[in-house]
Amino acid sequence: MSFLRYLGFDDVRVAARFDCFRGTKKESTARKYGVLGANVFARKPMAHG
Amino acid sequence: MAIACPVDLDTQVLRSEVSKIYSRVATDPDGDFHFHRGPAYAANFLGYDPAELAALPNECTASFAGIANPHTIAPILRGETVLDIGCGAGTDLLLAARRVGPSGRAIGIDMTEVMLDRVRGSAAAVGLTNVEVRRADATALPLADASVDVVISNGVLNLVPEKEKAFAEIRRVLRPGGRLQLADIVLDAELGEDVRCNIDLWTG
Repeated sequence: MSFLRYLGFDDVRVAARFDCFRGTKKESTARKYGVLGANVFARKPMAHG
Repeated sequence: MAIACPVDLDTQVLRSEVSKIYSRVATDPDGDFHFHRGPAYAANFLGYDPAELAALPNECTASFAGIANPHTIAPILRGETVLDIGCGAGTDLLLAARRVGPSGRAIGIDMTEVMLDRVRGSAAAVGLTNVEVRRADATALPLADASVDVVISNGVLNLVPEKEKAFAEIRRVLRPGGRLQLADIVLDAELGEDVRCNIDLWTG
């Protein structure tokens, strides 16, 4: 999530992950690259440039 | 984390392929795809409330193809203005519209006209009058600076090659203190350039 901080967001966190490709045709590709769905929270700072 | 697009990736071809796939999701949601769709998937895999989904038209939820759940990240509050980037047929957008109520606004953008038509029809069918949709690209949001309280997006930004531009636009339209509630793909490790240049792996 460092790129969100780099782009100027605060309070960045991954809130949950989901195995969204389980049982699909692309499950093995998803496993190979460690692909999961994720909930991500970030906030625009109150004071920004 | 690589956020820059490989220089030799044809982004117009990528946009076209993404648009084709998701137009097909709208017109043939029971067709053959590499990803799950529909309300049962949303409830069983992603924790959506089945009763909330059942209260939306099937023509909306049948095409749901999200990969996480932006509604469980933080509450969406009455009166807020929510922007859904890549709203598709509108499941997340209409759920947000219900949450913000008549004093709020739920704005959806998508580059697929078929999907936008679905949203218009579904919003009308359930009597939601606080929903607006616009055909647009994530890298050029048709909204004023600091005009949005919450940006949601579900399984979309991973398909946008110009990610820095897309997130700069999100930051622009959010009011100071506004929230990004993003549902998207995460990876265990950085992908090599050969993988990032393979359009088939972008679109499945």
